[in-house]
Amino acid sequence: MTTATASKGMERLEPVPVTGKRIATGSALYNEVLEFLYDEAALLDAQNYDDWGKLLEEDLSYTAPLRITRQGSDRLNTVVRTTLHFDDDYSSIMGRLLRLGTKSAWAEDPPSRTRRFVTNVRVWEVAKPQEFEVESYLLLSRSRYEQSVLQMMSCVRHDLWRRSGPGAFKLARREIIVDQSVLGMANLAVFL
Amino acid sequence: MLNKSKPTLSDGTTIDELINLQTREVSMRLLSDHEIYKLEMERIFAKTWLLLGHETEVPNSGDYVVRDMGEDQVIVSRDRKGDVHVLLNVCPHRGMRVCMAEVGNAQVHRCVYHGWAFRPDGSFMGAPIEREQMHGNIFAKEDLGLTKARVQLYGGLIFATWNIEGPSLEDFLGDSKFYFDLLFCRTDGGLEVLGPPQKFIVPANWKAAAEQSASDGFHTLTLHRSLMETGQYGRATADDIYANAPAMYGVDISCRQGHSLRCIPAEVTFTMFMSMDELKKLSPDERLEVLPPPGITKEMLPELKRHMSPAGLKLMAKAPPQVGGMFPNVLVLFIYAPRTDGKYSGALALHTYVPRGPDHVEFTNWIFAEKSASPEMKRDMMANAVRQAGTSGTIEQDDSDTWPHMSRNARGAIGRTRTMKYGALLGEKKPEDWPGGGYVYDGFTKDDTQWNWWLYYRELMTAKG
Repeated sequence: MTTATASKGMERLEPVPVTGKRIATGSALYNEVLEFLYDEAALLDAQNYDDWGKLLEEDLSYTAPLRITRQGSDRLNTVVRTTLHFDDDYSSIMGRLLRLGTKSAWAEDPPSRTRRFVTNVRVWEVAKPQEFEVESYLLLSRSRYEQSVLQMMSCVRHDLWRRSGPGAFKLARREIIVDQSVLGMANLAVFL
Repeated sequence: MLNKSKPTLSDGTTIDELINLQTREVSMRLLSDHEIYKLEMERIFAKTWLLLGHETEVPNSGDYVVRDMGEDQVIVSRDRKGDVHVLLNVCPHRGMRVCMAEVGNAQVHRCVYHGWAFRPDGSFMGAPIEREQMHGNIFAKEDLGLTKARVQLYGGLIFATWNIEGPSLEDFLGDSKFYFDLLFCRTDGGLEVLGPPQKFIVPANWKAAAEQSASDGFHTLTLHRSLMETGQYGRATADDIYANAPAMYGVDISCRQGHSLRCIPAEVTFTMFMSMDELKKLSPDERLEVLPPPGITKEMLPELKRHMSPAGLKLMAKAPPQVGGMFPNVLVLFIYAPRTDGKYSGALALHTYVPRGPDHVEFTNWIFAEKSASPEMKRDMMANAVRQAGTSGTIEQDDSDTWPHMSRNARGAIGRTRTMKYGALLGEKKPEDWPGGGYVYDGFTKDDTQWNWWLYYRELMTAKG
């Protein structure tokens, strides 16, 4: 018998590890980050993948763990990081963007009409200067073809943004914690 | 009167009329009809062997996962003796769901409604307030356990069926078992599931996915054309993908029970290997060293040699089974999956397409590696599989966007009378020295294997009794 995969990799959903000072809501720095998140959401909703790709750092980690329903004393251990919905680095994300630019990326051609609602943003300084832990809630609505019922996905994102200039940041890490244990979308051909 | 050997739908149509043996057409009605769906639950999902998971998901006493056999939810649990049980997740008391989590460990499964309690082997322990005998005076405790399915493990994979007296799993796998052995039973430690499965809902009839899993090779050239446009499959320099036709030539195998696999040399498909002209000149042994089968390393080759016949090994060297399916609802994906960074540790995945009503299917995706693979290799194989298959996989996201359209079309008054056509037949042709049995099709992949899937579907749906 091997290692207990039933418990391995299943972890509590911890809040962002606070290694630095919380950036006050409404402060100049907070607003800078918030506006950047809004801009990023707008790029993705506009399917401006060229410009979105420029926001990514080359040491990027872009992952989405599974969620699982548990009971009893383990009931809060709902995040699974052994299997993932996204398990990407910079080069694989670039591969995804390359594919989306081909003539045959049918999962998004015709494209979905998406709307990314970004809320509950919390920002912390980290040990490294000019890097920020950013937690945000994301509600993605997705409309495909003639379907009148919107496909929805809610998640919390744990990001590490690195300042690249005045009012500009680059994404070094994003972990997307989805809320569904069975996703209600037929695929994740869209970014979260 | 209902003729049991020919189930008749309320408008007088019989199931066998919907699959035309002469013209090899399948009525689109099969992708939407509610009456047919009900019959499928009884005649297929309550009858055949179904894949529910892998024993490495429940390694310890008391471990359980909750899975589905058609619309019937079951608890897959391991008892103190180490045996795996599959139990209907329905309390015999009032029909409440007994196990509410989808994974966990418990020596007692206690229904939250009135407290009836069951062991991991399904046996009834008792109801609360023993002195009042709240399980009643009519049934003995031995008769009040959870309903048990028949279970068999194969290569660590957990299969179960409600057909207690029916064919063995070995008989059900038939002539395809030789080929599945090459994938599931090839190392000392066997396969290991790398984590719980991905799950997502596709608004499509389960058969839109399942008939494709029966080795539909041809769709790759069009639906998965982006793989060629991005230079992963085929020759990147060729401007005519159809003339080049990567991934098409190989040997497809299937059998009466509708299972199938596509045995394809690596250099027929992947750009990275196409330029390796020396591959063709190598002996099988040399070839194994240069290009081990997906998920295998050079270091594991002695294990491989211990677990398979020289003929099986030769097939694994030249054209390992890479993709295919197991009737009724399993997709097998054991692909080389070369990456842009030049690595090709492979991607090993199994899917089940679990029916969720006539218009929805739950896509379940398990990702595997050999237990003896290094942690780094397992990590690579997880990434390979996630990037290509399942939820966000750049191959399969195109599939899951296609099946809903077929199902939608099958709902129209006219659309449901149209047919899916399986008229492109290659015919049986066995290459010289072919090591295995079953129906063998050497050449350009055609409709043979999928047609065999429908023939077995028809057999079960019209079977007597």
